[in-house]
Amino acid sequence: MSLLRLENVTKQFGGLVAVDKVSLEIAKGEFVGIVGPNGSGKTTLFNVINGVFYPEEGRVFFDETDITRMPPYKRAPLGIARTFQIPRPFASATVRENVAVGAMFGSRGKSVNVEQSLEIADRVIERIGLTGHGRKNAGMLTPVEKKFMEIARALAMQPRLLLMDEAMAGMHPGEIDNMVKFLVEVAKQEKIAIVAMVEHIMRAVVNMAEKVIVLDHGEKIVDAPTRQALSDPRVVDVYLGKGAEEENADSSSA
Amino acid sequence: MKNRLRPYYPLLPVFAAYLVLFLVGRNVTGMWQLAATLVFYCALGQAFNIFLGMTGYVDFGYVAFLGIGTYGMATAITGLAGYPQLGLGIVAIGFILAIVMATLLSMAVGAVALRLRGAYFAIATIGVNEGFRYLIEGANLWNGSSGMIFTAQLNEILGRDLSSRIMTFWADVMVLFIAAAAAVVTLLYMKSKIGYALTALREDEDAAKVMGINVTKYKIIAFITSASFAGTVGAASWALKTPYVFPPEVFEIHYTIEAIIIVMLGGAGTMLGPVVGALIYGISKYYLSIFLPGFQLFIFALVIIFIIVMFPEGVVGVIKGKTRNTAIAPYIM
Amino acid sequence: MFLEQLSGNLVQGVVLGSVYGMATMGLSLIFGVLKVVNVGHGAFVMVGAFVALFFFNTLGLNPIFAIPAAFAVGIALGLTFYYAAIRKLLHAPELATLLATFSAGVLLEETIKMIFGSEFRGYNWDVGNIDLVFTALPMSKILAALGSVLIAVLLYVWFKRTRAGSAMRSVVEDSQGARVCGINVDGVYAMSFALGIGLTVASGVLLTMFIPVGINPYMGGGYTLKAFVIAVLGGLSSPYGAFFGGLVFGLIENTSYTVFALIPGVEPFALTRFLSFLILLIILLIRPTGIIKAK
Repeated sequence: MSLLRLENVTKQFGGLVAVDKVSLEIAKGEFVGIVGPNGSGKTTLFNVINGVFYPEEGRVFFDETDITRMPPYKRAPLGIARTFQIPRPFASATVRENVAVGAMFGSRGKSVNVEQSLEIADRVIERIGLTGHGRKNAGMLTPVEKKFMEIARALAMQPRLLLMDEAMAGMHPGEIDNMVKFLVEVAKQEKIAIVAMVEHIMRAVVNMAEKVIVLDHGEKIVDAPTRQALSDPRVVDVYLGKGAEEENADSSSA
Repeated sequence: MKNRLRPYYPLLPVFAAYLVLFLVGRNVTGMWQLAATLVFYCALGQAFNIFLGMTGYVDFGYVAFLGIGTYGMATAITGLAGYPQLGLGIVAIGFILAIVMATLLSMAVGAVALRLRGAYFAIATIGVNEGFRYLIEGANLWNGSSGMIFTAQLNEILGRDLSSRIMTFWADVMVLFIAAAAAVVTLLYMKSKIGYALTALREDEDAAKVMGINVTKYKIIAFITSASFAGTVGAASWALKTPYVFPPEVFEIHYTIEAIIIVMLGGAGTMLGPVVGALIYGISKYYLSIFLPGFQLFIFALVIIFIIVMFPEGVVGVIKGKTRNTAIAPYIM
Repeated sequence: MFLEQLSGNLVQGVVLGSVYGMATMGLSLIFGVLKVVNVGHGAFVMVGAFVALFFFNTLGLNPIFAIPAAFAVGIALGLTFYYAAIRKLLHAPELATLLATFSAGVLLEETIKMIFGSEFRGYNWDVGNIDLVFTALPMSKILAALGSVLIAVLLYVWFKRTRAGSAMRSVVEDSQGARVCGINVDGVYAMSFALGIGLTVASGVLLTMFIPVGINPYMGGGYTLKAFVIAVLGGLSSPYGAFFGGLVFGLIENTSYTVFALIPGVEPFALTRFLSFLILLIILLIRPTGIIKAK
């Protein structure tokens, strides 16, 4: 049984079709990489999944419940969390408060009060390695720290599906490896399905991903187990021959 | 062992300021009127801060809630003048009516305006006070443009002595209590889920939604709370202190401007900000009106542009930043 | 009798509406390009009214000459205000520009009050009447309407035919893209803001040609509200939408006054103003992007 299922989802802006009849399935606890160049419709797809936009056509199911037209704030407590391409911290609040907000409003199925949320926040902050930054204003973090904070904020929601929009952009290869390792560990422990969206086929993501979905101009062109997807000629086409072998240098340029 | 009272420390400087205002007003001859004006500004700022400061939304029609509160008290006094045996109960009913009417109006306005974001919200509210004024005048509600004068009814209900004591003293004390209550509510909100939700939506509404925050609900909570406090301020400071009401006076946008200046000057979204803003604004307005009569608004307009460009976080915001990690930090919020 | 009055009102409405439309183009231009809502809009209209008053009463000149003068005053005010405040606030929360433009309006009102005092003034420019079948219109009003249409057309040509105009259009479409293409986006912002304020101040002259009385420092408030209704009717970010919004609003205002006057026990003037507020709320509720589609 799938955790998330999209059926023929189409989202347009004016005349521009950002997402074109995309169907896909994400299983529980699965690590999926969505790959596509800039403008291929990845962010729009995320926005449809977490309810920022409603699609014109098609349906979105989460845990076999139709959530196509459910407002975003109701999806979060179902267990859908996300990070943003450009981090969006609540800048005037502290890191601790930011993360606590995730626990307070996004926690699945139960009500969490302020004190409990702050405790959860402290735990998650420590776990992700931001210890010592908790009382800083989130706006004062470095860009990479902000990315970590967003992941902490999402994890504090105890999600079942974590959507990560270019979470690794701007990081060193070493940092990416650590981050991916950390995510895989957390995901396994807490049975979180992770959908990581990347612009380039990055070794780090691809190595961990069980499945790769490739988007091009809003259409899904490949949806296959990782190894199979990487050898698909269409993938090579999308990247103009830039295959999986030389990905690493590109990963930081996004 | 954590100090259980520590979260309430920020109330101390606020209450201290109110106490000083009261004592100075009582004991220094000729100061009661100035103190009362300052108390009015404190209450206005404290009430407005719950919405403007905590949500970051600008309600240009805010004065309408003071106006409707004034009409609430006026309605109770004129409508129940035939039952003088109710005595002060009528004043209590007036306050309840003021809160109910302000709440209803804020729900009506909020139902439309709070669906809108940022600039569209401000545009929708800019006509609320004028619109409501013209509705009262145009449809001849509550005597339309001729207004209501109810000094006689107040005298009848409470007796001449008590009613004049209320006009000259107790009405101002009530405003002081309203200001204090608004401060307490602000603190309680800030410490609760409501405060976290409002901070999140003020900083980034879309991100807040994705985090599971029902932003409309929290905006409405802040809006209604802020509006009902404004209603009681109108009822006490306008209807009881000066027992008459004329539509152009109680829907005058000027008061919204003053509320904005007070909140921005002191520091939007801070606990102590409205008090500091009210004192700076009220005292400088008082002395400007003596030394440079007619120039107050000109100067304040310049000041507010200057603050927005140079110190958007306001006086308390700056102090808060400077005193982080010091002994007085727990008192500044 | 009633029908005659109503058709008279329709003609008056169109004439008034074209002036209203022109008076709102600046507001929409500024929002369209900079995403800044000029909450002090009415005060800039008021400045224009005083320019007209100064030309007619002090210099003894035809108010038509006041139009370019008011436009120049507006450009100067717009540039000053842009570089003193707005420029630094473009990336701040919306609250900042709302309060800054609001305060700028107050500043103008108080300045004009210091110079001219706060009493109501007016001027009397009599250039005869035009007799239409069902109503007679003063020539000055017709000229105001024609002037408004002319300015709208000039603006249209300027947008379509000049480099500056097309730079402005591309910034509206995509400011990031325009920056990449080598367009000086900051310059376009400054120019659009100045042009918007220039149009607004100039419209103040046209409005006094229509209603040459009641000129005082605080006359702007009502126009701000009307301008918002009109701008929202036209979709808020399109100057042409605003122009047609003005026509529609002029018709509504004139007609509703006549209709409300038939209801006993109400004040038609006040109710008409309430109605405009109600229209604003309804449009914002059902279709914030505007009722009128205009390119």
